[in-house]
Amino acid sequence: MGSGNITIDEAALVAQAMAGNMAAVEKLILKYQDRIYNTILKLCGNDADAAELAQDSFVKAIQGLKDFRAQSSFYTWLFRIAVNNTLNFCKKSSRLNFESLHREVDEETGSQLKDYLVDGNSLEPSELAAKKEVSSLILKALEKLDPQQRAVVVLRDIEQMSYNEIAETLDIEIGTVKSRIARGRKNLRDIIEAVIS
Amino acid sequence: MKDIEQLEELLNSYIDGELDERKSNEVKRLIDNDKNARLAFESLHRCRKLLGSLRPSAAPEGFCESVTRDLERNILLADTEVYQHSKKGKRRLIYRHFITAAAMIALVAALSYVVLDIFVPKSARQKFADNVLNRKPKPQVLFEQPFAQAPEQDIVVAAPKGPSVPLVAKLTLITDSPVEADWLIGKALMNTALFDKTSAVDRKTGSVKYVLSCDRNSIVSLIGELNFIWPKCSDATLQIGTEQQGKFITINNVSARQTLDICKADNYNHRLRMASDIAMINQIAVTDVLQNYLAKQNADSDFIVPNKPVLTSSEKIEKPLSDNVSEPANFTITIIGKN
Repeated sequence: MGSGNITIDEAALVAQAMAGNMAAVEKLILKYQDRIYNTILKLCGNDADAAELAQDSFVKAIQGLKDFRAQSSFYTWLFRIAVNNTLNFCKKSSRLNFESLHREVDEETGSQLKDYLVDGNSLEPSELAAKKEVSSLILKALEKLDPQQRAVVVLRDIEQMSYNEIAETLDIEIGTVKSRIARGRKNLRDIIEAVIS
Repeated sequence: MKDIEQLEELLNSYIDGELDERKSNEVKRLIDNDKNARLAFESLHRCRKLLGSLRPSAAPEGFCESVTRDLERNILLADTEVYQHSKKGKRRLIYRHFITAAAMIALVAALSYVVLDIFVPKSARQKFADNVLNRKPKPQVLFEQPFAQAPEQDIVVAAPKGPSVPLVAKLTLITDSPVEADWLIGKALMNTALFDKTSAVDRKTGSVKYVLSCDRNSIVSLIGELNFIWPKCSDATLQIGTEQQGKFITINNVSARQTLDICKADNYNHRLRMASDIAMINQIAVTDVLQNYLAKQNADSDFIVPNKPVLTSSEKIEKPLSDNVSEPANFTITIIGKN
Protein backbone atom coordinates (compact mmCIF):
# COMPACT_ATOMS: atom_id res chain seq x y z
CA MET A 1 0.00 0.00 0.00
CA GLY A 2 1.10 3.54 0.63
CA SER A 3 4.69 4.27 1.38
CA GLY A 4 6.12 7.17 3.32
CA ASN A 5 9.04 7.51 0.94
CA ILE A 6 8.66 8.36 -2.69
CA THR A 7 9.73 5.50 -4.96
CA ILE A 8 12.09 6.02 -7.91
CA ASP A 9 9.42 5.19 -10.47
CA GLU A 10 6.91 7.49 -8.87
CA ALA A 11 9.48 10.27 -8.55
CA ALA A 12 10.25 10.00 -12.26
CA LEU A 13 6.57 10.07 -13.14
CA VAL A 14 5.98 13.10 -10.95
CA ALA A 15 8.98 14.87 -12.50
CA GLN A 16 7.71 14.18 -16.00
CA ALA A 17 4.18 15.29 -15.04
CA MET A 18 5.64 18.51 -13.65
CA ALA A 19 7.37 19.03 -16.99
CA GLY A 20 3.96 18.82 -18.68
CA ASN A 21 4.11 15.23 -19.91
CA MET A 22 0.47 14.18 -20.21
CA ALA A 23 1.40 10.49 -20.53
CA ALA A 24 3.05 10.64 -17.12
CA VAL A 25 0.02 12.44 -15.76
CA GLU A 26 -2.25 9.70 -17.08
CA LYS A 27 -0.07 7.03 -15.47
CA LEU A 28 -0.29 8.77 -12.12
CA ILE A 29 -4.07 9.07 -12.44
CA LEU A 30 -4.48 5.42 -13.41
CA LYS A 31 -2.24 4.35 -10.54
CA TYR A 32 -4.28 6.08 -7.83
CA GLN A 33 -7.75 6.65 -9.29
CA ASP A 34 -9.40 3.58 -7.68
CA ARG A 35 -7.98 4.16 -4.24
CA ILE A 36 -8.80 7.84 -4.30
CA TYR A 37 -12.31 7.19 -5.57
CA ASN A 38 -12.89 4.38 -3.02
CA THR A 39 -11.71 6.51 -0.11
CA ILE A 40 -13.80 9.50 -1.17
CA LEU A 41 -16.84 7.26 -1.66
CA LYS A 42 -16.49 5.88 1.87
CA LEU A 43 -16.17 9.43 3.18
CA CYS A 44 -19.08 11.05 1.33
CA GLY A 45 -21.29 8.00 0.71
CA ASN A 46 -22.52 9.04 -2.73
CA ASP A 47 -21.28 7.71 -6.10
CA ALA A 48 -21.87 10.85 -8.15
CA ASP A 49 -20.35 13.15 -5.51
CA ALA A 50 -17.41 10.79 -5.11
CA ALA A 51 -16.69 10.77 -8.87
CA GLU A 52 -16.85 14.55 -9.06
CA LEU A 53 -14.76 15.06 -5.93
CA ALA A 54 -12.16 12.54 -7.11
CA GLN A 55 -11.88 14.25 -10.49
CA ASP A 56 -11.62 17.65 -8.84
CA SER A 57 -8.94 16.35 -6.45
CA PHE A 58 -6.82 14.98 -9.30
CA VAL A 59 -7.10 18.22 -11.26
CA LYS A 60 -6.09 20.25 -8.21
CA ALA A 61 -3.19 17.92 -7.47
CA ILE A 62 -1.83 17.92 -11.05
CA GLN A 63 -2.24 21.67 -11.43
CA GLY A 64 -0.58 22.19 -8.08
CA LEU A 65 2.39 19.96 -8.87
CA LYS A 66 4.65 23.02 -9.01
CA ASP A 67 4.10 23.35 -5.25
CA PHE A 68 4.97 19.70 -4.58
CA ARG A 69 8.30 19.62 -2.71
CA ALA A 70 8.67 15.81 -2.50
CA GLN A 71 9.02 16.01 1.28
CA SER A 72 6.25 13.43 1.49
CA SER A 73 5.17 10.87 -1.07
CA PHE A 74 2.98 11.91 -3.99
CA TYR A 75 0.48 9.40 -2.65
CA THR A 76 0.23 11.16 0.74
CA TRP A 77 0.11 14.56 -0.94
CA LEU A 78 -2.65 13.41 -3.30
CA PHE A 79 -4.66 11.91 -0.42
CA ARG A 80 -4.29 15.09 1.60
CA ILE A 81 -5.84 17.09 -1.22
CA ALA A 82 -8.60 14.50 -1.77
CA VAL A 83 -9.54 14.14 1.92
CA ASN A 84 -9.49 17.89 2.60
CA ASN A 85 -11.54 18.48 -0.54
CA THR A 86 -14.08 15.89 0.56
CA LEU A 87 -14.27 17.07 4.16
CA ASN A 88 -14.84 20.64 2.93
CA PHE A 89 -17.57 19.38 0.66
CA CYS A 90 -19.17 17.43 3.54
CA LYS A 91 -19.03 20.53 5.74
CA LYS A 92 -20.70 22.70 3.09
CA SER A 93 -23.37 20.19 2.17
CA SER A 94 -23.91 18.80 5.66
CA ARG A 95 -27.36 17.31 5.82
CA LEU A 96 -28.92 16.06 9.01
CA ASN A 97 -29.49 12.39 8.44
CA PHE A 98 -32.34 11.21 10.60
CA GLU A 99 -33.00 8.23 8.41
CA SER A 100 -33.33 5.06 10.45
CA LEU A 101 -30.78 2.32 9.78
CA HIS A 102 -33.11 -0.46 10.91
CA ARG A 103 -34.60 -0.90 7.45
CA GLU A 104 -31.11 -1.61 6.04
CA VAL A 105 -30.95 -5.22 7.24
CA ASP A 106 -33.46 -8.02 7.28
CA GLU A 107 -33.89 -10.21 10.34
CA GLU A 108 -31.63 -13.03 9.22
CA THR A 109 -28.75 -10.78 8.21
CA GLY A 110 -29.19 -8.81 11.40
CA SER A 111 -28.97 -11.99 13.40
CA GLN A 112 -25.83 -13.11 11.56
CA LEU A 113 -24.23 -9.71 12.06
CA LYS A 114 -25.11 -9.80 15.76
CA ASP A 115 -23.63 -13.26 16.13
CA TYR A 116 -20.48 -12.09 14.44
CA LEU A 117 -20.00 -8.91 16.48
CA VAL A 118 -21.05 -10.32 19.87
CA ASP A 119 -20.13 -13.99 19.80
CA GLY A 120 -17.80 -14.26 16.84
CA ASN A 121 -19.48 -17.60 15.99
CA SER A 122 -20.83 -16.79 12.60
CA LEU A 123 -19.72 -16.24 9.04
CA GLU A 124 -16.34 -14.92 8.05
CA PRO A 125 -16.23 -11.10 7.91
CA SER A 126 -15.55 -11.20 4.16
CA GLU A 127 -18.70 -13.30 3.64
CA LEU A 128 -20.74 -10.90 5.74
CA ALA A 129 -19.33 -7.79 4.11
CA ALA A 130 -20.05 -9.26 0.70
CA LYS A 131 -23.74 -9.01 1.52
CA LYS A 132 -25.11 -5.86 0.00
CA GLU A 133 -27.28 -5.13 3.04
CA VAL A 134 -24.34 -5.34 5.40
CA SER A 135 -22.03 -3.18 3.30
CA SER A 136 -24.84 -0.65 2.92
CA LEU A 137 -25.41 -0.65 6.69
CA ILE A 138 -21.71 -0.11 7.39
CA LEU A 139 -21.52 2.77 4.89
CA LYS A 140 -24.60 4.40 6.44
CA ALA A 141 -23.12 3.96 9.90
CA LEU A 142 -19.89 5.56 8.67
CA GLU A 143 -21.92 8.50 7.38
CA LYS A 144 -23.28 9.01 10.88
CA LEU A 145 -19.80 9.42 12.34
CA ASP A 146 -18.22 12.81 12.90
CA PRO A 147 -16.32 13.68 9.64
CA GLN A 148 -12.95 13.89 11.43
CA GLN A 149 -13.44 10.46 13.04
CA ARG A 150 -14.79 9.07 9.76
CA ALA A 151 -11.67 10.27 7.91
CA VAL A 152 -9.21 8.49 10.25
CA VAL A 153 -11.27 5.28 10.37
CA VAL A 154 -11.55 5.14 6.56
CA LEU A 155 -7.87 5.92 6.01
CA ARG A 156 -6.85 3.27 8.56
CA ASP A 157 -9.34 0.43 8.08
CA ILE A 158 -10.15 0.82 4.37
CA GLU A 159 -7.09 2.52 2.91
CA GLN A 160 -4.82 0.68 5.40
CA MET A 161 -2.68 3.75 6.08
CA SER A 162 -0.31 3.75 9.04
CA TYR A 163 -0.86 6.19 11.89
CA ASN A 164 2.10 8.26 10.64
CA GLU A 165 0.66 8.49 7.13
CA ILE A 166 -2.74 9.46 8.50
CA ALA A 167 -1.14 12.17 10.65
CA GLU A 168 0.78 13.43 7.62
CA THR A 169 -2.24 13.30 5.32
CA LEU A 170 -4.57 15.09 7.70
CA ASP A 171 -1.80 17.29 9.10
CA ILE A 172 -2.56 16.31 12.71
CA GLU A 173 -0.59 14.84 15.65
CA ILE A 174 -0.18 11.07 16.09
CA GLY A 175 -1.91 11.31 19.47
CA THR A 176 -4.92 12.90 17.77
CA VAL A 177 -4.95 10.07 15.23
CA LYS A 178 -4.98 7.49 18.05
CA SER A 179 -7.77 9.11 19.97
CA ARG A 180 -9.89 9.70 16.84
CA ILE A 181 -9.45 6.10 15.74
CA ALA A 182 -10.44 4.80 19.18
CA ARG A 183 -13.52 7.03 19.38
CA GLY A 184 -14.47 6.48 15.76
CA ARG A 185 -14.38 2.69 16.00
CA LYS A 186 -16.25 2.70 19.29
CA ASN A 187 -18.97 4.97 17.90
CA LEU A 188 -19.21 2.90 14.74
CA ARG A 189 -19.60 -0.31 16.74
CA ASP A 190 -22.22 1.33 18.95
CA ILE A 191 -24.20 2.48 15.92
CA ILE A 192 -24.16 -0.96 14.28
CA GLU A 193 -24.98 -2.77 17.53
CA ALA A 194 -27.87 -0.39 18.13
CA VAL A 195 -29.28 -1.36 14.74
CA ILE A 196 -29.00 -5.12 15.13
CA SER A 197 -29.92 -5.39 18.81
CA MET B 1 -13.35 7.22 32.35
CA LYS B 2 -9.97 8.45 31.21
CA ASP B 3 -8.51 4.98 32.00
CA ILE B 4 -11.12 3.34 29.79
CA GLU B 5 -10.32 5.74 26.94
CA GLN B 6 -6.60 5.07 27.37
CA LEU B 7 -7.23 1.32 27.40
CA GLU B 8 -9.28 1.59 24.21
CA GLU B 9 -6.55 3.62 22.55
CA LEU B 10 -4.01 1.01 23.58
CA LEU B 11 -6.18 -1.85 22.32
CA ASN B 12 -6.70 -0.07 18.98
CA SER B 13 -3.00 0.64 18.62
CA TYR B 14 -2.30 -3.01 19.48
CA ILE B 15 -4.76 -4.20 16.83
CA ASP B 16 -3.23 -1.86 14.26
CA GLY B 17 0.32 -2.96 15.16
CA GLU B 18 1.30 0.57 16.11
CA LEU B 19 2.83 -0.26 19.52
CA ASP B 20 6.45 -0.99 20.17
CA GLU B 21 7.42 -4.48 21.32
CA ARG B 22 7.39 -3.70 25.04
CA LYS B 23 3.96 -2.08 25.06
CA SER B 24 2.64 -4.72 22.73
CA ASN B 25 3.67 -7.45 25.18
CA GLU B 26 2.03 -5.58 28.06
CA VAL B 27 -1.27 -5.30 26.20
CA LYS B 28 -1.08 -8.97 25.20
CA ARG B 29 -0.62 -9.98 28.84
CA LEU B 30 -3.56 -7.76 29.81
CA ILE B 31 -5.79 -9.35 27.23
CA ASP B 32 -4.78 -12.84 28.35
CA ASN B 33 -5.42 -12.13 32.00
CA ASP B 34 -8.36 -9.69 31.97
CA LYS B 35 -11.67 -10.99 30.69
CA ASN B 36 -13.16 -7.49 30.06
CA ALA B 37 -10.08 -6.36 28.20
CA ARG B 38 -10.22 -9.56 26.13
CA LEU B 39 -13.91 -9.02 25.27
CA ALA B 40 -13.28 -5.40 24.29
CA PHE B 41 -10.30 -6.46 22.21
CA GLU B 42 -12.26 -9.18 20.39
CA SER B 43 -15.20 -6.87 19.71
CA LEU B 44 -12.91 -4.18 18.34
CA HIS B 45 -10.97 -6.69 16.29
CA ARG B 46 -14.14 -8.10 14.70
CA CYS B 47 -15.48 -4.64 13.93
CA ARG B 48 -12.20 -3.65 12.31
CA LYS B 49 -12.05 -6.82 10.25
CA LEU B 50 -15.61 -6.29 9.07
CA LEU B 51 -14.83 -2.76 8.00
CA GLY B 52 -11.65 -3.88 6.27
CA SER B 53 -13.60 -6.57 4.41
CA LEU B 54 -15.75 -4.06 2.56
CA ARG B 55 -15.35 -4.52 -1.14
CA PRO B 56 -13.34 -1.66 -2.64
CA SER B 57 -15.11 0.39 -5.28
CA ALA B 58 -13.35 1.10 -8.54
CA ALA B 59 -13.37 4.50 -10.19
CA PRO B 60 -16.04 4.89 -12.87
CA GLU B 61 -15.17 4.04 -16.45
CA GLY B 62 -13.45 6.80 -18.39
CA PHE B 63 -12.42 8.51 -15.16
CA CYS B 64 -8.86 9.09 -16.33
CA GLU B 65 -10.04 10.58 -19.65
CA SER B 66 -12.41 12.93 -17.78
CA VAL B 67 -9.58 14.15 -15.58
CA THR B 68 -7.17 14.70 -18.49
CA ARG B 69 -9.88 16.44 -20.51
CA ASP B 70 -10.61 18.68 -17.53
CA LEU B 71 -6.90 19.40 -17.15
CA GLU B 72 -6.49 20.27 -20.84
CA ARG B 73 -9.50 22.56 -20.71
CA ASN B 74 -8.10 24.35 -17.67
CA ILE B 75 -4.70 24.71 -19.35
CA LEU B 76 -6.33 26.17 -22.47
CA LEU B 77 -8.39 28.61 -20.41
CA ALA B 78 -5.29 29.59 -18.47
CA ASP B 79 -3.50 30.31 -21.78
CA THR B 80 -6.29 32.54 -23.01
CA GLU B 81 -6.50 34.12 -19.53
CA VAL B 82 -10.27 33.94 -19.72
CA TYR B 83 -10.79 32.58 -16.25
CA GLN B 84 -7.45 33.44 -14.73
CA HIS B 85 -7.85 35.34 -11.51
CA SER B 86 -5.00 37.71 -12.06
CA LYS B 87 -4.30 40.63 -9.76
CA LYS B 88 -5.88 42.92 -12.35
CA GLY B 89 -8.99 40.77 -12.34
CA LYS B 90 -9.18 40.83 -8.57
CA ARG B 91 -8.77 44.57 -8.54
CA ARG B 92 -11.53 44.85 -11.13
CA LEU B 93 -13.75 42.61 -9.02
CA ILE B 94 -13.12 44.70 -5.90
CA TYR B 95 -13.77 47.88 -7.91
CA ARG B 96 -17.00 46.40 -9.22
CA HIS B 97 -18.09 45.46 -5.69
CA PHE B 98 -17.25 48.95 -4.52
CA ILE B 99 -19.27 50.54 -7.33
CA THR B 100 -22.19 48.23 -6.59
CA ALA B 101 -22.07 49.10 -2.87
CA ALA B 102 -21.90 52.83 -3.67
CA ALA B 103 -24.84 52.54 -6.05
CA MET B 104 -26.85 50.68 -3.40
CA ILE B 105 -26.06 53.31 -0.78
CA ALA B 106 -27.03 56.11 -3.20
CA LEU B 107 -30.27 54.33 -4.04
CA VAL B 108 -31.14 53.83 -0.37
CA ALA B 109 -30.32 57.47 0.37
CA ALA B 110 -32.51 58.68 -2.50
CA LEU B 111 -35.38 56.47 -1.41
CA SER B 112 -35.00 57.62 2.20
CA TYR B 113 -35.08 61.24 1.06
CA VAL B 114 -38.25 60.64 -0.95
CA VAL B 115 -39.93 58.83 1.96
CA LEU B 116 -38.88 61.59 4.39
CA ASP B 117 -40.06 64.28 2.00
CA ILE B 118 -43.45 62.60 1.69
CA PHE B 119 -44.14 61.54 5.27
CA VAL B 120 -42.18 63.91 7.55
CA PRO B 121 -43.29 67.56 7.70
CA LYS B 122 -40.73 70.20 6.77
CA SER B 123 -40.87 71.79 10.24
CA ALA B 124 -40.07 68.46 11.90
CA ARG B 125 -37.16 67.92 9.54
CA GLN B 126 -35.89 71.43 10.24
CA LYS B 127 -36.16 70.81 13.98
CA PHE B 128 -34.30 67.51 13.65
CA ALA B 129 -31.55 69.18 11.59
CA ASP B 130 -31.28 71.95 14.19
CA ASN B 131 -30.93 69.37 16.97
CA VAL B 132 -28.34 67.35 15.07
CA LEU B 133 -26.29 70.38 14.06
CA ASN B 134 -26.80 71.97 17.47
CA ARG B 135 -27.92 75.29 16.03
CA LYS B 136 -30.57 77.71 17.17
CA PRO B 137 -33.90 77.29 15.47
CA LYS B 138 -35.01 80.14 13.26
CA PRO B 139 -37.84 82.24 14.71
CA GLN B 140 -41.18 81.13 13.39
CA VAL B 141 -42.63 83.46 10.77
CA LEU B 142 -46.28 84.09 11.49
CA PHE B 143 -46.98 86.55 8.71
CA GLU B 144 -45.74 86.68 5.20
CA GLN B 145 -43.40 89.50 4.31
CA PRO B 146 -45.40 92.46 3.01
CA PHE B 147 -45.25 92.63 -0.74
CA ALA B 148 -43.94 96.14 -0.48
CA GLN B 149 -40.79 94.80 1.24
CA ALA B 150 -40.43 91.74 -0.87
CA PRO B 151 -37.60 91.66 -3.37
CA GLU B 152 -38.66 92.92 -6.72
CA GLN B 153 -37.62 89.82 -8.60
CA ASP B 154 -40.01 87.72 -6.49
CA ILE B 155 -42.99 89.61 -7.87
CA VAL B 156 -42.78 89.10 -11.54
CA VAL B 157 -46.25 89.87 -12.69
CA ALA B 158 -46.83 90.19 -16.33
CA ALA B 159 -48.92 93.21 -17.11
CA PRO B 160 -52.37 91.80 -17.47
CA LYS B 161 -54.03 92.63 -20.67
CA GLY B 162 -57.68 92.65 -19.76
CA PRO B 163 -60.68 93.85 -21.73
CA SER B 164 -61.11 97.58 -22.30
CA VAL B 165 -63.85 98.25 -19.72
CA PRO B 166 -64.75 101.85 -18.92
CA LEU B 167 -63.63 103.16 -15.57
CA VAL B 168 -66.70 103.55 -13.38
CA ALA B 169 -65.96 105.01 -9.98
CA LYS B 170 -67.77 106.82 -7.21
CA LEU B 171 -65.80 108.91 -4.75
CA THR B 172 -67.66 109.96 -1.62
CA LEU B 173 -65.98 112.56 0.59
CA ILE B 174 -67.28 113.48 4.05
CA THR B 175 -66.14 116.82 5.26
CA ASP B 176 -66.82 119.43 7.91
CA SER B 177 -66.54 122.20 5.32
CA PRO B 178 -68.57 121.12 2.30
CA VAL B 179 -68.61 124.60 0.77
CA GLU B 180 -64.85 124.79 0.68
CA ALA B 181 -64.68 121.29 -0.73
CA ASP B 182 -67.23 122.18 -3.40
CA TRP B 183 -65.19 125.22 -4.33
CA LEU B 184 -62.00 123.16 -4.58
CA ILE B 185 -63.71 120.63 -6.85
CA GLY B 186 -65.01 123.38 -9.10
CA LYS B 187 -61.51 124.83 -9.31
CA ALA B 188 -60.04 121.44 -10.15
CA LEU B 189 -62.63 120.91 -12.88
CA MET B 190 -61.71 124.22 -14.34
CA ASN B 191 -57.99 123.50 -14.19
CA THR B 192 -58.41 120.20 -15.95
CA ALA B 193 -60.92 121.48 -18.50
CA LEU B 194 -63.44 118.96 -17.29
CA PHE B 195 -66.13 121.42 -16.36
CA ASP B 196 -67.72 121.01 -19.76
CA LYS B 197 -67.65 117.26 -19.43
CA THR B 198 -69.63 117.28 -16.22
CA SER B 199 -72.81 115.55 -17.28
CA ALA B 200 -74.70 116.36 -14.07
CA VAL B 201 -74.36 118.38 -10.87
CA ASP B 202 -76.81 117.56 -8.15
CA ARG B 203 -76.84 120.01 -5.28
CA LYS B 204 -78.87 119.16 -2.24
CA THR B 205 -78.79 120.39 1.30
CA GLY B 206 -75.60 119.11 2.83
CA SER B 207 -74.40 117.32 -0.32
CA VAL B 208 -73.15 117.95 -3.84
CA LYS B 209 -72.80 115.31 -6.56
CA TYR B 210 -70.71 115.70 -9.72
CA VAL B 211 -71.09 113.15 -12.51
CA LEU B 212 -68.28 113.21 -15.07
CA SER B 213 -68.19 111.42 -18.42
CA CYS B 214 -64.72 111.64 -19.95
CA ASP B 215 -61.64 109.45 -20.49
CA ARG B 216 -59.57 107.84 -17.79
CA ASN B 217 -56.56 110.11 -18.22
CA SER B 218 -58.71 113.12 -17.52
CA ILE B 219 -59.90 111.51 -14.32
CA VAL B 220 -56.28 110.89 -13.35
CA SER B 221 -55.53 114.56 -13.93
CA LEU B 222 -58.54 115.54 -11.86
CA ILE B 223 -57.51 113.34 -8.94
CA GLY B 224 -54.08 114.95 -9.15
CA GLU B 225 -55.73 118.32 -8.74
CA LEU B 226 -58.02 117.08 -5.98
CA ASN B 227 -55.30 116.01 -3.60
CA PHE B 228 -55.76 119.30 -1.74
CA ILE B 229 -59.28 118.27 -0.78
CA TRP B 230 -58.31 115.22 1.28
CA PRO B 231 -56.95 117.18 4.29
CA LYS B 232 -60.35 118.83 4.49
CA CYS B 233 -62.16 115.47 4.70
CA SER B 234 -62.81 113.24 7.69
CA ASP B 235 -63.59 110.20 5.54
CA ALA B 236 -63.30 109.16 1.93
CA THR B 237 -64.83 106.13 0.22
CA LEU B 238 -64.11 105.00 -3.31
CA GLN B 239 -66.29 102.52 -5.20
CA ILE B 240 -64.89 100.91 -8.34
CA GLY B 241 -67.38 99.42 -10.75
CA THR B 242 -67.04 95.90 -12.01
CA GLU B 243 -68.20 94.24 -15.21
CA GLN B 244 -71.28 93.12 -13.35
CA GLN B 245 -73.85 95.85 -13.49
CA GLY B 246 -74.40 97.53 -10.11
CA LYS B 247 -71.59 95.64 -8.37
CA PHE B 248 -68.78 97.74 -6.88
CA ILE B 249 -65.64 97.18 -4.91
CA THR B 250 -65.77 99.52 -1.94
CA ILE B 251 -62.56 100.96 -0.49
CA ASN B 252 -63.03 102.66 2.84
CA ASN B 253 -60.65 105.27 4.14
CA VAL B 254 -59.18 105.67 0.72
CA SER B 255 -56.34 108.14 0.33
CA ALA B 256 -55.65 110.47 -2.59
CA ARG B 257 -52.65 108.39 -3.56
CA GLN B 258 -54.65 105.16 -3.53
CA THR B 259 -57.40 106.75 -5.61
CA LEU B 260 -54.88 107.99 -8.11
CA ASP B 261 -53.12 104.61 -8.34
CA ILE B 262 -56.40 102.83 -8.98
CA CYS B 263 -57.43 105.28 -11.64
CA LYS B 264 -54.02 105.04 -13.29
CA ALA B 265 -54.36 101.29 -13.74
CA ASP B 266 -54.25 100.92 -17.51
CA ASN B 267 -56.66 97.98 -17.77
CA TYR B 268 -59.67 96.58 -16.08
CA ASN B 269 -58.07 93.51 -14.47
CA HIS B 270 -55.22 95.50 -13.04
CA ARG B 271 -57.62 98.09 -11.73
CA LEU B 272 -59.87 95.54 -10.03
CA ARG B 273 -57.02 93.67 -8.46
CA MET B 274 -55.48 96.85 -7.13
CA ALA B 275 -58.86 97.99 -5.80
CA SER B 276 -59.40 94.64 -4.05
CA ASP B 277 -55.93 94.68 -2.52
CA ILE B 278 -56.24 98.26 -1.25
CA ALA B 279 -59.70 97.57 0.12
CA MET B 280 -58.34 94.60 2.04
CA ILE B 281 -55.32 96.53 3.30
CA ASN B 282 -57.47 99.40 4.52
CA GLN B 283 -59.87 96.94 6.15
CA ILE B 284 -56.97 95.26 7.95
CA ALA B 285 -55.73 98.69 9.02
CA VAL B 286 -59.03 99.12 10.83
CA THR B 287 -59.11 95.72 12.50
CA ASP B 288 -55.48 94.92 12.64
CA VAL B 289 -54.48 92.13 15.01
CA LEU B 290 -51.33 93.95 15.89
CA GLN B 291 -53.42 96.96 16.83
CA ASN B 292 -55.56 94.78 19.08
CA TYR B 293 -52.49 93.25 20.59
CA LEU B 294 -50.99 96.66 21.29
CA ALA B 295 -54.30 97.80 22.70
CA LYS B 296 -54.20 94.89 25.13
CA GLN B 297 -50.70 95.88 26.04
CA ASN B 298 -51.92 99.45 26.68
CA ALA B 299 -49.69 100.68 23.91
CA ASP B 300 -50.55 103.41 21.49
CA SER B 301 -50.80 101.96 18.03
CA ASP B 302 -51.82 105.08 16.18
CA PHE B 303 -48.30 105.84 15.15
CA ILE B 304 -48.00 102.37 13.63
CA VAL B 305 -51.31 101.91 11.89
CA PRO B 306 -53.49 104.92 11.28
CA ASN B 307 -57.21 104.39 11.53
CA LYS B 308 -57.83 106.33 8.39
CA PRO B 309 -55.78 108.06 5.76
CA VAL B 310 -54.38 111.26 7.11
CA LEU B 311 -52.70 113.78 4.87
CA THR B 312 -50.77 116.52 6.56
CA SER B 313 -49.79 118.10 3.27
CA SER B 314 -50.49 117.72 -0.38
CA GLU B 315 -48.95 114.60 -1.93
CA LYS B 316 -46.54 114.87 -4.78
CA ILE B 317 -48.28 113.13 -7.57
CA GLU B 318 -46.89 112.59 -10.98
CA LYS B 319 -48.76 114.35 -13.71
CA PRO B 320 -50.26 111.89 -16.07
CA LEU B 321 -49.58 112.10 -19.76
CA SER B 322 -52.64 113.83 -21.17
CA ASP B 323 -51.99 112.89 -24.78
CA ASN B 324 -52.34 109.17 -24.08
CA VAL B 325 -55.44 107.59 -25.50
CA SER B 326 -57.32 105.84 -22.70
CA GLU B 327 -60.62 104.13 -22.10
CA PRO B 328 -63.77 106.12 -21.27
CA ALA B 329 -64.55 106.86 -17.66
CA ASN B 330 -67.62 107.62 -15.62
CA PHE B 331 -66.64 109.29 -12.40
CA THR B 332 -68.99 110.47 -9.68
CA ILE B 333 -67.80 112.71 -6.86
CA THR B 334 -70.13 113.23 -3.93
CA ILE B 335 -69.36 115.64 -1.15
CA ILE B 336 -71.34 115.18 2.03
CA GLY B 337 -71.30 117.69 4.80
CA LYS B 338 -70.73 116.21 8.18
CA ASN B 339 -72.85 118.82 9.99
